[in-house]
Amino acid sequence: MSASTQPPVLSLSNVVSGYKGLQVLKGISFDIAAGDFVTVVGPNGHGKSTLLKTISGLVPLTSGAIRINGEPAPGKPHTIAGLGVAHVPQGDMLFPEMSVLENLLMGAYLAPSKAEIDRRLDEVYTLLPKLSDRRDQVASSLSGGERRMVGIGRGLMMGGQILLIDEPSLGLAPLIIEQIYGVITELSRSGRTILLVEENPARVADLADHLHLLDDGIIVWSGPPAELLARDELLATYLGG
Amino acid sequence: MLDILTAILIAGLTTGALYALATVGLSLVWGSMGMLNMAHAAMLTLGGYSAFTLCTVLGLPVIAGFAGAILVGAVAGGLLYVLIVRNLLKTDKATFESNVMIATVGIGIALENAILLTYGGQPLKQPISATGSFILGPVSLPYQNMLIVLVVIALMAVIALLLGRTRMGRAIRATAQNREAAQLMGVAVNSVYFQVLVLSGAIAGICGVMVSSMTQLSPPLGNDPMLKAFIMCVVAGLGNLPGAVAAAFGLALLEAFVQYVAGARWGFPTLLFVVIAVLIWRPAGLFGRVQIRRM
Ligand SMILES: Nc1ncnc2c1ncn2[C@@H]1O[C@H](COP(=O)(O)OP(=O)(O)O)[C@@H](O)[C@H]1O
Ligand SMILES: [Mg+2]
Repeated sequence: MSASTQPPVLSLSNVVSGYKGLQVLKGISFDIAAGDFVTVVGPNGHGKSTLLKTISGLVPLTSGAIRINGEPAPGKPHTIAGLGVAHVPQGDMLFPEMSVLENLLMGAYLAPSKAEIDRRLDEVYTLLPKLSDRRDQVASSLSGGERRMVGIGRGLMMGGQILLIDEPSLGLAPLIIEQIYGVITELSRSGRTILLVEENPARVADLADHLHLLDDGIIVWSGPPAELLARDELLATYLGG
Repeated sequence: MLDILTAILIAGLTTGALYALATVGLSLVWGSMGMLNMAHAAMLTLGGYSAFTLCTVLGLPVIAGFAGAILVGAVAGGLLYVLIVRNLLKTDKATFESNVMIATVGIGIALENAILLTYGGQPLKQPISATGSFILGPVSLPYQNMLIVLVVIALMAVIALLLGRTRMGRAIRATAQNREAAQLMGVAVNSVYFQVLVLSGAIAGICGVMVSSMTQLSPPLGNDPMLKAFIMCVVAGLGNLPGAVAAAFGLALLEAFVQYVAGARWGFPTLLFVVIAVLIWRPAGLFGRVQIRRM
């Protein structure tokens, strides 16, 4: 799918970042081509969310470089959002006192016109019809699965082609997880570029083109998901079997 | 009996309106940026004196006095952001709340003293006031009080529309509810903070005109409304605007009632008693969110 003449839509080279007094990412490098589905798996607390936050600008870069569509990424999250990078954060981070519709409209905060907002809203309601039924409900009163859908819908309202999705299955019942992954599959088919973080590699086995195994802030293994699942020693070492 | 009740009601509604306006200015800033603006009182005073300068000293019409107070308040809020808050935000986020409180205490004192040096300490008459009363059978409604209540209701409607219906208002609420998520949606939170302080300054300016039209102009003019506003905020739950307005009217009516029944000096202790009771019973305030969101 990726034409070799095109620059990668997202490129990380030697990315180091973290929090005050704590270096979390210790030199991460990889590229993502347009339309690719890339997954980062790794144990809890080893920097998966920090990686996505660094790409979207919430966590500042200590050193290294991030390029978006070939251009150096600007440092601030609101300008990175303007480049079409939609970060669907872990735990949804909805606006709890706003309705579903208002949450979605916040996603389209940078949209150029009312017509464009309506177009995206149509698209989101088609993909996630439940949100249309719940449009006036306040976000804090939604179920976990509904909240996840609002989080994804809000990310789609940003209109970006690059989706950063953080643990979409976290805290959900198996049936709901299946629904959420159904939606993510459709998004991938629509041609969007997806960087998705998961704890469980089995969940993305059929979906992801490429997988990076993150351990303690570095990538310790990269390859197709099916290959990782076949390597018992890797699973045992890094993901506790 | 009827005249006593209406007197309490008129006094309660008028002070309630003034408290509500002072509270909204304070609560807006707290709710969206976790900043307790201790200079809010001085910004009220500044608004009152601006109107005085324009109308009494320069002889301009009343409407210019109103507009001037709003403008000066807005500029003061904007400068507060550009000169102080912006720089404090660059430092450690964890210490921002206490740093900004201390900084604004200092600014408030400096501003109050600058006003004292410029205008002197003697009370001045606020020219923007209405005289006379509307007589309805046994009840007389002073135009001044009616004016205040109407202006405040109109302002509340404008603020509610601004926050509830506009793109800018939605960004302000989003920032208050989840700052990081708002940033991810493309909201430049620094400009939201700037807008919030400008808006709050404008509200403080007009509030100062209203307060001084009921009493007189003096440099510590804003202190009492600010103190009361703080009480309303705590009772309502910091950062909750509709709750703050409800608390302002409720407590002002209570204060007016107690002042009438037990004497003027019991009004304030009663308010403090209510605050303590609320804080014991519901630490997050009557309408407070479960947890107070921080920076
Ligand atoms: N806001 C923060 N401030 C300080 N440390 C943090 C913060 N967020 C995460 N960390 C720390 O950074 C490390 C990586 O966290 P995270 O990226 O959330 O891991 P993961 O998503 O893989 O579970 C952990 O040690 C965590 O405690
Ligand atoms: Mg995580």
